[in-house]
Amino acid sequence: MTAPADAHRTADAHRTADAHRTADALRTAAGDALAWVDSRRADFALGEDALAADGEVDRSWKPLGELAQVCATVTRLTEPADPLHARARELLDFAWQETREGELFPRLQRLEPFATYPLEVYAAFAAAGLRHPAFEQAAAVVARTRGWRLTEQDPTRRLGVLRAEERCGIHRFAQAPPELPQTWLGGLPEPWTFGRDAGYALTHVVFHLGDWGRDASALPPDLVAYLGDWLPPWLDTCLEAGLWDLGAELLAVAATVARTTGEDAPAGDWRRLLAARGPSGELPLDDRDLDEIAAGPGSDGDRYFLHHYHSTLMAAFAAVLAAARPAGRAEPAAAGRRPGGQGAPS
Amino acid sequence: MEQSGTSTRLQAAVQDLASGVVSALRGGGHAHVVPPVGTDGEAGDLALAAVRVLGADALLPGLLSRTAPDPAELAVFRKAVEAYPPRADAAPTVRWSHWAMARTLRRADPSSAEPPDEPDTAWLDGATWQVLTHQLAVLAPLALPGEDCAVSRLAAGRPVDVARGFVRAVRRRDWRQAAGAGRWLTLLPGVPDTVGLESGLDFVELMGGQDPLVALQVQAARRMRTGAGV
Repeated sequence: MTAPADAHRTADAHRTADAHRTADALRTAAGDALAWVDSRRADFALGEDALAADGEVDRSWKPLGELAQVCATVTRLTEPADPLHARARELLDFAWQETREGELFPRLQRLEPFATYPLEVYAAFAAAGLRHPAFEQAAAVVARTRGWRLTEQDPTRRLGVLRAEERCGIHRFAQAPPELPQTWLGGLPEPWTFGRDAGYALTHVVFHLGDWGRDASALPPDLVAYLGDWLPPWLDTCLEAGLWDLGAELLAVAATVARTTGEDAPAGDWRRLLAARGPSGELPLDDRDLDEIAAGPGSDGDRYFLHHYHSTLMAAFAAVLAAARPAGRAEPAAAGRRPGGQGAPS
Repeated sequence: MEQSGTSTRLQAAVQDLASGVVSALRGGGHAHVVPPVGTDGEAGDLALAAVRVLGADALLPGLLSRTAPDPAELAVFRKAVEAYPPRADAAPTVRWSHWAMARTLRRADPSSAEPPDEPDTAWLDGATWQVLTHQLAVLAPLALPGEDCAVSRLAAGRPVDVARGFVRAVRRRDWRQAAGAGRWLTLLPGVPDTVGLESGLDFVELMGGQDPLVALQVQAARRMRTGAGV
């Protein structure tokens, strides 16, 4: 006979062991993903057209900014002695060198003074302490205009721009940004109205509010509760549909929420995502087969990169967030809104 | 070939029966939804099998409006309960569905035999929210106001999980499962308000309501939301 207290201890020990195994698997996955990213540095490098008036931002500055964004979070959430930290730091330095230590940002601004993306990309570097004071001063001049503040953008993007301004010291806003209720997520919509576009909007609201996983406590409690309730069916259906990129982003959101609630990483969802990876740890955007992708423009290597880089970065981001969690985790019984993990009412 | 023909005809008979129930639930005047006893031959067999497939919901309109059942209707229902006892190796949902029919028969006609003992719910111990919702949707006839059985008690303990299953079913366009889960959600305490159940039921009806089995669950849920008792 096992006394009930012993049974509880045994269950807790199993749970802790499971959590450790999951964390180890996630760290390995993050390492593989970043190794693949590292092997594709040349594809992240800014090309000749990075400062061209008609340059393709989505193929130049966007991937580089996303690389910086993810690596800034990885370096923040890992110890300096950790190989993941070292790899992310090297990739950050590489990306910063690509911008010639920020020198390209003022030049980009001269080309398109009222475009917001230079500031948004720059903010990712600034988050990691890589700064260019002259650009920040120049950005502040433009940001003081009514025209800049009235830039027409969807509310989720606007939230990102405000966060970038805050990051660059242009101004600070109150804890609850005014754009939040205008976003899909901020309005707490019926969860069955979720779709691909709503999904990408909501993940970015969480990333902007939670400072890309570095400040999960900035998520308002009603959003934490809402996400805790509805992430499971969104994840389940996205993974079933082979939407790996969105699935990875949702797992990053789940990991951000879990930093507040202390819930375990959803092991089953993670298994499905990781099973979709390619031979070198890279994750495809979705379930389209490679023949279909091969029909698109550009070289095979380009197409493969564009079909994998973002989802692979997001998988690394989500995995590091989820694996970092136990260090500062709250006791589930104290923090969980729904004890028992089966959705029972508290 | 013959078997698949029978199966198609049975499905058609179930759809017809469900349409009658929907119409009666809407107050459309078809109080009698069960075909008369004495319809012989294959038509009679099909009608009886259709009642068994639809289960306790065949008598739902009278149950919710608290009107005495038509004796002929009751006779067919009784015959279906007796003709299709669950086999020894029957799935738990089949046992529960039969139990629900026996219970409904007893409610409609207190002179009927006591329903058998409740089957157990062991098969749902530790079930994921996906499996739980699927099984509960199959057992939607048990979702009745004031129903107190092991399945309804188990459902009452997992409102958020059933709500998640509803969201999943809508996302997968599985309107029958969504409608069944929606019917349970109207009864469960502790469902998060953000699920938006009323507009959710409207949406399920809009998208899947041409299927009488979907419409039946949506109508049942609406009637129960407006306070119809058993």
